[in-house]
Amino acid sequence: MIKGHQINYAHKKYHILHSVDISVEYGEFLAIVGPNGAGKSTLLSMLANELENKNPDSVLFKNKMFKQWDLKELSKNKAKFSQHNTNDIPLMVKDVVLMGRYPYFNSTPNEEDLNAIESALTETDVLHLKNREYNSLSGGEKQRVHLARVIAQLQNDVKHKLMFLDEPLNNLDVKHQYKALRLIKDFTKKANTAIVVLHDLNLAAQFADNVLLMKNGKVAAHGKPHEVFNERVISEAYNFPCAICANPITKNPMIIFGN
Amino acid sequence: MQNKLSIYLITSILLLIVLAIGSLFMGVYDFGGKSPLIVLQGVMTGNPDVSLSEKYVIWDVRMARIVMAILIGSILAVAGTSMQGMFKNPLATPDLIGITAGATLMAAITIVLGSHFREYLPDFIQYSLLSIAAFIGALVTTLLVYKISTTQGKTNVVIMLLSGVAITALGFAVVGFLIYLSKDEQLRDLTFWNLGSLGGATWGKNGILLVVMIVSYSILIHKGKALNAMMLGEKDAEHLGIPVEKIKKQIVVLVALMIGACVAFSGTIGFVGLIVPYILRLIFKSNYQIILPLSAVVGSILLLVADTFSRTIVAPSEIPIGVLTAFMGAPVFIAILIRFKNSM
Repeated sequence: MIKGHQINYAHKKYHILHSVDISVEYGEFLAIVGPNGAGKSTLLSMLANELENKNPDSVLFKNKMFKQWDLKELSKNKAKFSQHNTNDIPLMVKDVVLMGRYPYFNSTPNEEDLNAIESALTETDVLHLKNREYNSLSGGEKQRVHLARVIAQLQNDVKHKLMFLDEPLNNLDVKHQYKALRLIKDFTKKANTAIVVLHDLNLAAQFADNVLLMKNGKVAAHGKPHEVFNERVISEAYNFPCAICANPITKNPMIIFGN
Repeated sequence: MQNKLSIYLITSILLLIVLAIGSLFMGVYDFGGKSPLIVLQGVMTGNPDVSLSEKYVIWDVRMARIVMAILIGSILAVAGTSMQGMFKNPLATPDLIGITAGATLMAAITIVLGSHFREYLPDFIQYSLLSIAAFIGALVTTLLVYKISTTQGKTNVVIMLLSGVAITALGFAVVGFLIYLSKDEQLRDLTFWNLGSLGGATWGKNGILLVVMIVSYSILIHKGKALNAMMLGEKDAEHLGIPVEKIKKQIVVLVALMIGACVAFSGTIGFVGLIVPYILRLIFKSNYQIILPLSAVVGSILLLVADTFSRTIVAPSEIPIGVLTAFMGAPVFIAILIRFKNSM
């Protein structure tokens, strides 16, 4: 699906990413975890073609470089959920979600677009906010509106779509955290791919197929959750003691931080 | 939503037509009891009963001026709305960020330097030269202000407005200096540029304005979606398939073209690009898919009304139209400052 080979990124003198190799398959849910400043968001941005890449052939999406893609076609194949906390968007919620359908219509949204918005709003539980002003929403509600927008954008017949999500769970309450992850999981079950930056290791362990642990711009560990989540690796990466046992219900690794 | 837009568009166009007809009746000239509409019809059909002076007043003075008000009002409003969309800020209008001043500066230099060649050049070329000079002034200023105030797609509002203040100050200084140097005839021209007036309306100028308008609108009017998406941030707009860099270039060049043409023919008419989108935002939020096309009509309405007032309340003299638009614009400016105090 998407392959990164020797991805480097430096901002001024600071090296943020050091030769990161990554490969994500169809139907995979990859969680990127790591301490602050490890380069998680930067890696996601590089993979999503947001930053200037000095070696454009270091990232291949469906075996093509990004600059070989048509911009509109690309937007039907991949979408990104970014962190938007500061943005002032003086529009109605439904108009914000409608943006996800911009690649599909010229001036007037058609029936299909309106249905896509409606179902995306329902899935993220914000249908009742549809006619509210976006700026009047709480942080968590805004997050869900953007999630709906991204979901609406990828509602099409394209096989094997890719969704990037940068900390989609910020500000969400427990129920909506699970709902959001369940949505992403369902998305990947249809042979689509999701690359998600997450802070909560336990949620990553429960939902992700693979986990990429980053530290200081390098890959510290990469593999199935039970391979990556091992006491020594995690305590070293976060520089903080932790204990790991099996979750009594799901049997996934359960990480408990602290002494 | 699109149906609603067509309804608003049709209603406002109808209103504009009614106002234009009303404006035709305003004026000092006495048609000897005949309705101006009848006279106009006579001119159109080539009726021999219409005297030359009647034809001149109705066709070359009133109609030309009304059409110019409609064209310039529309262009100024669309230029303002597009700039605001690109800078993602309701204060980013061509006059506040110095684009108009840049255009005026170049126009003034052209008038003074060009006076030596004036008699050898036909009118059409003179107007075109003036427009081109104003266009270059506008383009350079836009690029300058954008480069100074924007880093990585985020605009620093304070820097943006202050660079506008600086460029406007420079414009005043240069125009002041030119006034000091210039001869009588140039002086009249320069004062006219500084205050703004539609008094110089001719059909030749209207022709050029119409061409500028058609070229610019054919590209800009459909950019509502793109401007909406840019509110998410430029990276996110690109994820939605919007070629952000290309669109920004188009906006910069076309706004410079539009402002250049307006400044060349009517001088500095301020605040239209601020007032119109502000009013539309009160009703439609910032949905550029609606406010961009609507501003094209509402701008015409605003300037037509303002111009009709400017030439009738103290007839046969007239108030400079820039004075009237500033009267409306300044309170709007303050209202925006109060409303967005916290987000700036």
